[in-house]
Amino acid sequence: MSLVTSIFLIPLLAAIVLAFVPRNYRVVMRGVAVFATFLSALLAVILFLEFGHAVAGPTGFKFEFQRQWVQALGISFHVGVDGINVGLVLMGAIVAFAAACCSWEIQEREKEFYILLLVMVGGILAAFASLDLFMFYFFHELALVPTFIMIGVWGRGERKNYATFQITLYLSLGALIALAGLIALYLESGANTFDIPALIAYARNHPFSSDAQHFIFPLLLFGFGILVSLWPFHTWAPPGYGSAPSPTAMLHAGVLKKFGLYGLIRFVLPLLPDAARSWMTVLAWLCLGNLLYCGWVAMRQKDFNWMVGYSSVAHMGFAFLGIASLNLIGVTGAVLVMIAHGFLAALTFGLSGYIYHETGTLEMEQLGGLLRKLPFIGAALTMAAFAGCGLPGFANFAGEITVLFGAWHAFAHHQAVVIIAVWAALIVGAVYMLRGVRRVLHGPVTEKWADVADASNPWRKVPFVVLLACLLIFGFFPRLLTDKISASLTAQLGPNFQTWALRSDKPEGHPESQIANRKSQINRSSWITPEPRSASHSTLQ
Amino acid sequence: MNPDFLAWIILFLPLVAAGLITLYFLPQRKVSAGLSTGAVIIGFVLSVIFVSWAGWQPAIRESAATWLAVGPLHVAFGLRFDPLSLLMILVVTGVASAIHVYSWGYMHEDPGFSRFFACLSLFTFSMLGIVLANNFIELFIFWELVGVSSYLLISFWHERPSAADAGKKAFLANRLGDFGFLLGILIVWSSLGSLNFGVLQDRLSAHAGALGSLATIAGLLIFCGAMGKSAQFPLHVWLPDAMEGPTPVSALIHAATMVAAGVYMLCRVSFLLDASALEVIGWVGGFTALLSAVIAVQQDDIKRILAYSTLSQLGYMMMAVGLGGDSQAMFHLSTHAFFKALLFLGSGSVILALHHEQNIWKMGGLRRQMPVTFWTFLAATFALSGVPPFSGFYSKDSIFAQATARHSYGLLVLGLAVAVLTAFYMFRLVFVVFLGSSRSPACDHAQESPPVVLWPLRLLAVFSIIGGYIGIEQVYEKQFGAAGAGHPLWQQLLAPFREAPIGAVLGILAAVLGFAGAYKLYSNVAKDPLPDKLGALSRAMANRFYFDELYQATVIRLHDALASIADWIDRWIIDGFCVGLARGGTDLTGRALRLLQTGNLQTYAFLFALGAALVLYLVLGK
Repeated sequence: MSLVTSIFLIPLLAAIVLAFVPRNYRVVMRGVAVFATFLSALLAVILFLEFGHAVAGPTGFKFEFQRQWVQALGISFHVGVDGINVGLVLMGAIVAFAAACCSWEIQEREKEFYILLLVMVGGILAAFASLDLFMFYFFHELALVPTFIMIGVWGRGERKNYATFQITLYLSLGALIALAGLIALYLESGANTFDIPALIAYARNHPFSSDAQHFIFPLLLFGFGILVSLWPFHTWAPPGYGSAPSPTAMLHAGVLKKFGLYGLIRFVLPLLPDAARSWMTVLAWLCLGNLLYCGWVAMRQKDFNWMVGYSSVAHMGFAFLGIASLNLIGVTGAVLVMIAHGFLAALTFGLSGYIYHETGTLEMEQLGGLLRKLPFIGAALTMAAFAGCGLPGFANFAGEITVLFGAWHAFAHHQAVVIIAVWAALIVGAVYMLRGVRRVLHGPVTEKWADVADASNPWRKVPFVVLLACLLIFGFFPRLLTDKISASLTAQLGPNFQTWALRSDKPEGHPESQIANRKSQINRSSWITPEPRSASHSTLQ
Repeated sequence: MNPDFLAWIILFLPLVAAGLITLYFLPQRKVSAGLSTGAVIIGFVLSVIFVSWAGWQPAIRESAATWLAVGPLHVAFGLRFDPLSLLMILVVTGVASAIHVYSWGYMHEDPGFSRFFACLSLFTFSMLGIVLANNFIELFIFWELVGVSSYLLISFWHERPSAADAGKKAFLANRLGDFGFLLGILIVWSSLGSLNFGVLQDRLSAHAGALGSLATIAGLLIFCGAMGKSAQFPLHVWLPDAMEGPTPVSALIHAATMVAAGVYMLCRVSFLLDASALEVIGWVGGFTALLSAVIAVQQDDIKRILAYSTLSQLGYMMMAVGLGGDSQAMFHLSTHAFFKALLFLGSGSVILALHHEQNIWKMGGLRRQMPVTFWTFLAATFALSGVPPFSGFYSKDSIFAQATARHSYGLLVLGLAVAVLTAFYMFRLVFVVFLGSSRSPACDHAQESPPVVLWPLRLLAVFSIIGGYIGIEQVYEKQFGAAGAGHPLWQQLLAPFREAPIGAVLGILAAVLGFAGAYKLYSNVAKDPLPDKLGALSRAMANRFYFDELYQATVIRLHDALASIADWIDRWIIDGFCVGLARGGTDLTGRALRLLQTGNLQTYAFLFALGAALVLYLVLGK
């Protein structure tokens, strides 16, 4: 069994083991779940550390493993990692471990909960590791269905049923549209295979016809877009996360949601480059809906989890903006944002779950003054809030700044997009995050929180410490990720970056902008070469 | 062996201290304070060693590692060594050392003692990062970190709603400035293709017009960042509120270092600023200086008076930058760091003695009970008012000289008016607080502060007095060209009169005028005579010209309105209407289909027969 396979098989096997554990052995169930996720997180760390030394296969993937399954249709069990998904697998496995640790708040029907949790974890990790479209989709569904059940059964609040209903319909619809797109992709490619590297290699020589591209791309963009809460298909997210038990919210907002973005980067951009180019301005404006509009809506929220839910929708805007830039910097930034936001979303929902457990409410009007009672949780939440508004030192800043640089270069004629994005990143994000901290943690200490207790047990602290450590490590040393990501992106998308950049330069009327154009053309044509700046500058002179 | 490893140690020592305190030593107060203070004092000593080893202009000018490299985006994490950064780290670590020691005394009773030192260390780290940064993104990173440490320290007493709000406000006002700053960085990067200061300077000197039509815009956007951090009009509103933080914080961050970062940054990148951008910077600085000096005249809170005076002095520095006098700006920044830190620490000593009373009209006659505090405070007041031979006189005079040399008489007059006001409000403060008779029982029982508080005062007082002629300006001139030869001490003492006699004489006259006004109005009075004389103007000054209210009514209201509109759309249009329509449509289809499923066997049989007949007709009938 290969390393990658064991990372997602361990949780799935543990789920089967749990099925045979008697219902009243609570400690055992919890132990099995925590141990299984810990093991797969450990393996993911090993995978990440060994990544640099491992030998890449013919298609550029490392730790590959392939077994034919349905040969007639070209379906195989194919897993492997490259720079794009190795970080995602690492993030997913660590978040899964943190979510399992945070599951102590579940007090009833624990057996079912842990089984569903482990299935969800296995599904997500397998989806990120899969290099076969069929498996990719299958594993995603395997992870998605438990989400609905968990929100429906273990959810909280009065609007639980409505939220479950909405998230189920919405996400099923998104998955369905994406499925239609995937099937169309399979049929139109003519390669008769679901294997992603094979499809990409085939499409290099036999590109999709323009009609096919323009027909399939929107299906995948909006299908995946719904799954990632692209504006205006985002309204499932805040109520869903507001009602979900915190381990579910951590896993979904942190990991599962990145599936759609990953799909776009992994095979939509390489397979449908022309359609991608023509849709990108639209996508850029839509992602402002996420960044600015959802940021504004977040400012108005009264429930802390709804606010965090909207902020997580808003953060997805950065990932979309990075993808929309269609250049190496932007897409690398998008992957970095995905990983950073995974850790952050898990951290925030885990902490808010703790506060809910202690106080019984997340209404910000009723909270306040908690920092004195909860020094550890409060400090962690403050750090999470700062990571959320893009403070340097946390991984989110590295991702966001990279996206902004990429977008600034890509949208030479639509700089308003980037200006608004910077506004949303620096101002709007800070406003709601600091308001949240102010209302929940700061202020006079009140009598009613006399019984509130901080996380004194080290076990309660572990998940938060681990997640914060990851945010800080990748924030201080983003190269751990970006070097891997950009190398793989160049290998997979390199030719596309060049064509995208060259074609999108259309001269305009003003002499000024023509000069600017020529400049940016010179810069852009040199996107891929390793040290283009000095070169491009000398051409400028 | 190269000396540059020392600089890395200087930079990272405070971070290590902050990390260790947060992780392990929060319950051990003495260890925390020792770590934090030790880190900054060692940093100061190492800085002195570095300078004496490598000189002001080391052979190795940069020491860098790659932080992030994606395609053409190359961000280094590097340190830059030149006279500007080296003298500045001496100032930062020196002043910070004094303030760390002072904090042992000042914060002694506070339950958050360890947390306070952790935040101070984090701040010191960020400030040193700004000073040593060799590229724009690194500068921006530390820029933001300074913002956050300031937030943490202002809202240090987070149970107090006013402190919590003040911290939030400071962070957001800084972020507003950073919005422009980041856009400026993006423009510079995309037009010049680098982020490194040295490379940028070389490229610009090789091709003066490389920024093209964007030069002014880029310069002004970068200035936006400085406006936020250095609290220039119209982003000045956060600084007076920041006085909610503990007094050592006000001294370190909101007087000596953080707010100076904006000026420092502009001097660092002054090669990017073109003439029109400089013009704007100069006038914004001059206007801020005047506005806040006027407001300071009618404030009653001892720390707020000093806060507005800080704003006003920062205005001077900006004005100097705008006049092309980078070394003058940095000179004033350095002397100001000494005497303003001293003023704040002195006021802290008073506040401590009066059990956290900050209203000057409840003080009085403290000269007798607190002699050391009084004499050091007086020295700083002389320095700030520009009385020779105190340090402020020399640095302020160099700015006047620069204005004269540039024939910018508008700014010169503005600067002199501010000088009059400065002397006026500072001596008002001294007369009311230290002289005259006591106005409350607390004053009668006030006691001089402990030695741990007084020694930093004495130390800073020495530098406030001699800072003007120990060669600070000469070091900065090495950075910005036009380095004059070193003069012996006695010549430097008289240099202003020899080189720019008009500015020097006018400056002294302004100080005397301000002093005379303050003496006439405020020696031995029970309450402030000005409100009766000025009427509405005085109320406007006391209310800070209603800027807070203005922002409340416009910017904040607008954003909230936009937010509620977005919220409404989200709730009713997108979620309610669109999703509702989709759901309603599905629901309706379901209901319609249900009508067909009557469960009536005869109906099914009839429809089945009908269908069969239809199929038969279609197949056979044609």
